[in-house]
Amino acid sequence: MPRSKVKLAYISNDSARRTTFRKRESGLIKKAEEITTLCGVEACAILYSSYSPEPNVWPSPLDAQRVISRFRNMAPPEQNKKMADQQSFTRQRLEKTTEKVTKLGTENQHNEMTQVMYQCLSGRLGFECLSIGDLYYLSGLVSQNLRVIDRRLEFFQRHHSG
Amino acid sequence: MAKKPSMGRQKIKIAKIEIKNHLQVTFSKRRSGLFKKASELCTLCGVEISIIVFSPAGKVFSFGHPNVDSIVDQFLSRNPPPNTTTRHLIDAHRNASVRDLNSQLTQVLNELEAEKKRSETLDHIRKLASQRKYWWEKSIDELGLNELGQLRDSMVVLKKNVTNQTDKLFVEGNVNPSPFFSANGIAMVDSAEIKPYQMNASSTPPHVQNIGYGHGFF
Repeated sequence: MPRSKVKLAYISNDSARRTTFRKRESGLIKKAEEITTLCGVEACAILYSSYSPEPNVWPSPLDAQRVISRFRNMAPPEQNKKMADQQSFTRQRLEKTTEKVTKLGTENQHNEMTQVMYQCLSGRLGFECLSIGDLYYLSGLVSQNLRVIDRRLEFFQRHHSG
Repeated sequence: MAKKPSMGRQKIKIAKIEIKNHLQVTFSKRRSGLFKKASELCTLCGVEISIIVFSPAGKVFSFGHPNVDSIVDQFLSRNPPPNTTTRHLIDAHRNASVRDLNSQLTQVLNELEAEKKRSETLDHIRKLASQRKYWWEKSIDELGLNELGQLRDSMVVLKKNVTNQTDKLFVEGNVNPSPFFSANGIAMVDSAEIKPYQMNASSTPPHVQNIGYGHGFF
């Protein structure tokens, strides 16, 4: 069964929220363990929740303090350069995802209109269903193809004369 | 344009990665994923968190909600943060902003899903098309001189017809059937009005006749 998508908002149902918290907290710790082992790096995590008076500290309070010391001993610009909060992090994700959408969308449009072009060439498709925007794009695409064809024809001429 | 196939999900051994390049790529991806999970935990369950990670090169990345420093200070001093009205206002404002960003993000993620599906559909169509072997759909480099000439002629006529249709739409003031092919995926319609030409998949030279709308070139 495919996973159900979780809405990115505060879970108002108390028991659902507690269940999610326990699962995701342990999942987060696991991911932290994995990255430190796989990449041989140092890390720590400090988590305050309403489910426990004391914070959940990973790897341990002592280890965390060592990481924090190393962190705080760096020059403030170094500390802040890659510091994120939810706003900045989400904004970054938004930017990157938007970029991906644009890039993929452009690629899809090109491939789609190429199919349209082939179908027009062979009479399988008429212009009735194309908008002005589609027609302009198609015109450009045909021109582009003509340029490639002409270059290829030139190549033939150069290599077959004399 | 064929996409380089990614390796998909691989089961890996949890031990230090030997190849430096892999290690750096893995770090980058996992760090991002870790912060994403932390951010989601904060949004979904209303917790506060601070994560500090050092990179293989010694640079430091950190993520915190509400912010890295306040959580670290709270941990070090073992004192709860001051519970002032100002703080409440700041928190409320920030949370509203994050909610808004999250809903924008959700929307864009859905758009990305849609484009990915569209991409898969197109790949599928392209595979089907290559099975039917219409010679004019081959890569231009694969065509012989004769075929190139025919294709060129057909393209020139197609371009003219497209321009005619564009002019026609302008004159009629009918600029918009809604774009059939842009954002919403493929809808290749076999219009009943089209009288396709002899669609000749062999290489006998077809003749280009009097071209009207919806008439084939081959």
